Amino acid sequence: MHKLFLLIFIMACLLLGACGKGDDVAQAPLKTYRHSMDHAPGSLDPAQTSSIYANFIVVNLYDTLYRYKYLARPYQLEPNLATTLPVVSDDGLRLTIAIRKGVYFIDDPAFEGGKGREIKAADFVYSIKRHFDPETRAQGAWLWQGRIEGLDDWQTQGSDYDQQISGLRAIDDYNIEITLTRPFPQLVHTFTQGYSAIVPREAVEEYGQGLGNHPVGSGPFKFSSRNSSHAIMAKNEDFRKVPFDLEHEGYNAATQGNLGLESLQGRYPPFIDQLVIEFISEGAARWNSFSAGEVQFIKVPVVNFENVLSSVSPITLRPELADRYHFDATPEAGFIYTNINMADETIGYNEDEDRNQRNHALRCAIVKAFDWKKNNDVFFHGIGQVFPGIIPPFSSEFQADANQDYIERDVEGARELLQQNGWNSENLPKITYGITNTVTEKQVFEQLRSFLTEIGYPPEKISPLIFASFGDYYRAYSQGKVTLINTSWTMDYPDAENTMQLFYGPNASPGANSSSFNSPEYNRLYEATSGMAESPERTRIYRQMNQIVMDECPSITGITRTMLFLWDKNVHMLPDRSFLGGYFMRFVDMTAGDVTTQ
Amino acid sequence: MTRRLLYGIPLMLGVTLVSFMLMVYFGPDQTYELLGKNPTAQQITEVRHSLGYDRSFVVRYVGYLKEVVTLNFGLSASSGESVTDILKRTLPVSLALILPGFVLGNLLGLGFGMLTAWYRGGWLDKWVMTASVVGMSVSFLVIIIVLQVLLCTPYGLNMFPVRGWQVHDIGSWLYYVSVPTLALVLVTLGYNTRFYRAVMVEEIERDHIRTARIYGASPFSIMFRHVLKNSLVPILTRVMYSIPFVVVSGSLLLESYFGIPGVGLVTFNAITSGDQPVLKAVVSLTGILFVLVMLVTDIFYKWVDPRMLRS
Amino acid sequence: MGGPTDVAVVNAALWHRFSKDRFGISGLLIIVIFAILSLCVWFGILGQGWAQTSGSYWASASMEHWFGTNRLGQDILDRTLVGAATALEVGFSVTLFSILLGVVLGAISGWRSHSWLDEIILWAMGVLDSIPFYLFAAALAFAMRGQYFAMHLAMILTFWTTTARIIRAEVMRLKQREFVEAARAIGLPGMTIVFRHILPNTVHILLVQATIIFVVAIKTEVILSFLGLGVSNGVSWGLMLAESSQEVLTGHFGNFLAASLSLFALLMGFNLLTDALQDAFDNRGKIV
Repeated sequence: MHKLFLLIFIMACLLLGACGKGDDVAQAPLKTYRHSMDHAPGSLDPAQTSSIYANFIVVNLYDTLYRYKYLARPYQLEPNLATTLPVVSDDGLRLTIAIRKGVYFIDDPAFEGGKGREIKAADFVYSIKRHFDPETRAQGAWLWQGRIEGLDDWQTQGSDYDQQISGLRAIDDYNIEITLTRPFPQLVHTFTQGYSAIVPREAVEEYGQGLGNHPVGSGPFKFSSRNSSHAIMAKNEDFRKVPFDLEHEGYNAATQGNLGLESLQGRYPPFIDQLVIEFISEGAARWNSFSAGEVQFIKVPVVNFENVLSSVSPITLRPELADRYHFDATPEAGFIYTNINMADETIGYNEDEDRNQRNHALRCAIVKAFDWKKNNDVFFHGIGQVFPGIIPPFSSEFQADANQDYIERDVEGARELLQQNGWNSENLPKITYGITNTVTEKQVFEQLRSFLTEIGYPPEKISPLIFASFGDYYRAYSQGKVTLINTSWTMDYPDAENTMQLFYGPNASPGANSSSFNSPEYNRLYEATSGMAESPERTRIYRQMNQIVMDECPSITGITRTMLFLWDKNVHMLPDRSFLGGYFMRFVDMTAGDVTTQ
Repeated sequence: MTRRLLYGIPLMLGVTLVSFMLMVYFGPDQTYELLGKNPTAQQITEVRHSLGYDRSFVVRYVGYLKEVVTLNFGLSASSGESVTDILKRTLPVSLALILPGFVLGNLLGLGFGMLTAWYRGGWLDKWVMTASVVGMSVSFLVIIIVLQVLLCTPYGLNMFPVRGWQVHDIGSWLYYVSVPTLALVLVTLGYNTRFYRAVMVEEIERDHIRTARIYGASPFSIMFRHVLKNSLVPILTRVMYSIPFVVVSGSLLLESYFGIPGVGLVTFNAITSGDQPVLKAVVSLTGILFVLVMLVTDIFYKWVDPRMLRS
Repeated sequence: MGGPTDVAVVNAALWHRFSKDRFGISGLLIIVIFAILSLCVWFGILGQGWAQTSGSYWASASMEHWFGTNRLGQDILDRTLVGAATALEVGFSVTLFSILLGVVLGAISGWRSHSWLDEIILWAMGVLDSIPFYLFAAALAFAMRGQYFAMHLAMILTFWTTTARIIRAEVMRLKQREFVEAARAIGLPGMTIVFRHILPNTVHILLVQATIIFVVAIKTEVILSFLGLGVSNGVSWGLMLAESSQEVLTGHFGNFLAASLSLFALLMGFNLLTDALQDAFDNRGKIV
């Protein structure tokens, strides 16, 4: 009897539950945009925004000196808190930057009287100094290490914030002067990153490491709350009123005309009242969430490409989806490659000249064995862009007609190399391939192993090294414990200098040069070009350096992913995940307040 | 009772020591999670120092014990949020997630157990037993995947959300908790039914119950007044002892699959990233909870059956 | 009553009873089939092509690939067979060692009950029981730097406690019996009494426990592999399920069906066996 009652009770609950569908986060009719990200950010302290996810959010909560134009492609710098691009001295060593007046931090108990005060140039100086204070646990110091006069010394002298630095100072309340140790044309780009966001000293002193969860900024949005599945931000009503100008932001009516952006002209961003970002790392859950209308934007997981696209070349959306959604297929600003650990003498540099040569042949055989087409097809749905070397397709130095041998699969050639250099199944070295414990990475490994077995590499000699977290994996390969290092690089700014440094000798592990590649010629050329801005001369040299890398075969490189974005047609925006990144949120607008479908 | 309480202390020490060694001492080094792109050796040492890795084992362990006693675990190394705050917001969520399934699963199991014990050997018994075996042979994972497809996606009924937890009243709570609850009930029902049935059968076979049956006493009075009361001890033991685990690890799969921001998910993220403050807090909490449960169960025993005192 | 010869008689009667139970026999049969398949895998007769990728991704069932292929073009049938071998290997080793450990510690604890040795063992059980299992498994996986046997160790170290508690209770109960008193009177050392006289009377309990642990071990491996804490190099049903959780929503059910159905079959086999054994042993009181 009571069992029956229970059953009825359950059914009632389920029915009630179904009726409950359609309720929402905000009670009042706020314009809420729901974004989805494929990973959760860690700390929201600008000094710790090493992931693009944290960076994405931080640039909405804080101000940086510069950003990129919303709609211009290729990306163009645009002043944010600064008033104009910097005034640079003739020798390229001194920059003067003026900042806007009348920009205030949000109200917070950390300030006197709880009211947010005006931002001064000194705040910028303070924010950069923080990166050189061990207490901060900062992650951005490498951008400015050794570049700004007096900054490194400031750290060795004890990081006293009241001490002035000659190369980084506030001339007055609204002007900053920076003196470099050598020319650094990419400096302005570094001031678009979350690392350079401006934090108030009062908040840092009040909250310490807790600042990571208690942002106090001057950006277009204010932090409301955050947990492991989402972050909520509210419009900052006091954000400076700068009218939106389509042309200025680089609008191209031909390619962007269907996005409904004309209605933004002349209005003051941010246009939405509330910003909710859902962190959904499981592709299936993210896709379900998006199809159900729970989020309005998605970076489509690769497994779903086939039910989203009707064709791959040209990339076309399925008609039933094209009715409801806008889409954008854009290459990621970065690439994926597999480094070979040159510091391992069984496969890399070896003092014995003969062994050194044989190792070289082995590496090149491994590179030849890799089947980029299959890798692209399986893991990137065939729309990734494979390219030889380390100059990715969207760099201006890219050579579309370059020799493709480096990425062409050549099983016969590989076998020949092995045979001619005395390699056989007995003496081939054991190699380890590092992965973190996710399904896709295991599949990538299994595919690589099958590529190598096809050229005669004994499968028992190829083993995965599983790491439970990325940090663990990072540590292991930084300490030279992994032979084949599958890694990716996301560019920090749209300048190929950022990828060239990946093979610069002194950047060897634990630095970004995880293969510990060290070619004196390459290093020399890198140093020679380090102060150069983009130019035909620099392009020529970069291509030369690219060839040096490929000749040595220290890396199986590379592929640039093509990302697919889908977003609801009610939302008027051009989303971005690269350099513009989170900056586009302030320009998002929606027609019908909050979207609840069905 | 004081003896039990004293017994809890070496237990806590043991739990904290073992967990400390495994998770905090041998566990993942969070340094590399917190480094930027081009770290120098000096930066690495700095971060390690600020995370406390360079201090000796004993120093760190004693520090940990102090934290347990004062219940102050500091700030999460990943996000900077205070651990107490994290627990304050995640524990209620995990409870709200697990309780309905836990309670329903046990109630239903009890109900079925009583029914099948009473009608032992009949067709109902056989059907329920077969269903239980089937239920016990399906992996929790499979159930979750299937339910999500069937109930939350356009491929199925699409009545419930795929993930999320935006709960502010009963209606929204039911909306988000239904599918996880269903999954939990389906997974535990088989086990629960069999357990309760076994316990009931043991009681029912007793002579005085058999006699009562023969004399035509109503099933209700027999089941509830005699059988249930006498079976209270094993039932309660089982329920009580499953509480600490249900709260912490039972919710892990559900939380990660349905994106529910509860303790299980936070803990799991902390494990994989090596966020020590959070880990220390969670482990200590389960240890304390376990000891508390032991105490409470003991008190309950004495209240229910003074005969337990003798053993 | 309760000496060696009586045990043999009872056990013989039990097997007779058991053999009449159709469900139990079918369960046993399922297990035997899986065992044979696993042996074939271990001896290199079946499932050897599980790692081989091919160009036909997501192929449906065909003559060449009886269960179709997965994302990398690998044969799902081969992977399922190797998964079975993994499941049985994990189940077997975990069951064996946790029973052994549980029996030894439980016996010592029960024989010397309420001594300080007993207290220590009980304390150890309490400690291990109060650490949430998945935390423990994850922690071990880390501490052992992702070694394959970290998973086995985590399970063995936590599963032995149930067996130990049961054995402890049984030993404590049985040591009051006359045959034990008699053995003591003769002057037999404690451990001999325990292992040669008391424990044989617990074989039926142990058998049932073993089948239960086997099931739990396999289920746990599935979840651990799904979470990334279990099998990493090689195949297991847990890994296949992990792969499939993303795939089912794009209409690729091969991995999911193969893994979940075989898992279900094996677990059913064991659960039926457990039931039959329990039924047979429950009724042993009626024989004597």
